[in-house]
Amino acid sequence: MKKAIIIFMVSTLVLAGMAAWALKGHVEGNTGEIVMAGVVFILVAFAAALGASRLRSRRRGEPAEDELSKRVMARASSLAYYVSIYLWLFIMYISDKTTLPAHSIVGTGIAGMAVVFLLCWLGVKFFGMKNV
Amino acid sequence: MYNRIKELRARQDLSQFELAQKVGVRRETIVFLEKGKYNPSLRLAHDIAKFFGLPIEEVFLFDDAADKEPGEPAA
Repeated sequence: MKKAIIIFMVSTLVLAGMAAWALKGHVEGNTGEIVMAGVVFILVAFAAALGASRLRSRRRGEPAEDELSKRVMARASSLAYYVSIYLWLFIMYISDKTTLPAHSIVGTGIAGMAVVFLLCWLGVKFFGMKNV
Repeated sequence: MYNRIKELRARQDLSQFELAQKVGVRRETIVFLEKGKYNPSLRLAHDIAKFFGLPIEEVFLFDDAADKEPGEPAA
């Protein structure tokens, strides 16, 4: 229950941060910003779905977490870490060839890591994990 | 490794949710086990076997040829 509340709180904070950033007039409406906003919305939706699943489990009288969900999380995290190393290597390579400001590159990297984690989690859920 | 959970559960006319509750896991874990997408911990395997009143090796079966890595010695 505590974890579900934390997930919802962090999701709300992310959305509130985005809204505050937009209201302050920082939005230029270019493609990069639209893509980044889309990525953030997908990640927030993923977090909300995860939180809702935990609440549903609790309502049904199931444990919110069990050995499978913990192992899926651990496996997805380790895979995402491994893939993220290559992601950052690629971003470092690209950053030499663009004139993007440092905060945009770091922001892209962080959003990329979150997307990599989401994809790894979905992959582990879909394919299962037999002998790991 | 494969298992007989689905067969044993059907014999006792139990739903996946009921079995999950008996052994203290989520229904999803039973779904993964029955589909062969997940090998349980020794603790969970023990709990499931105990629930069905059978030894672990009668619920979880090893397909030696499929499970072993190439070059691994025979048990």
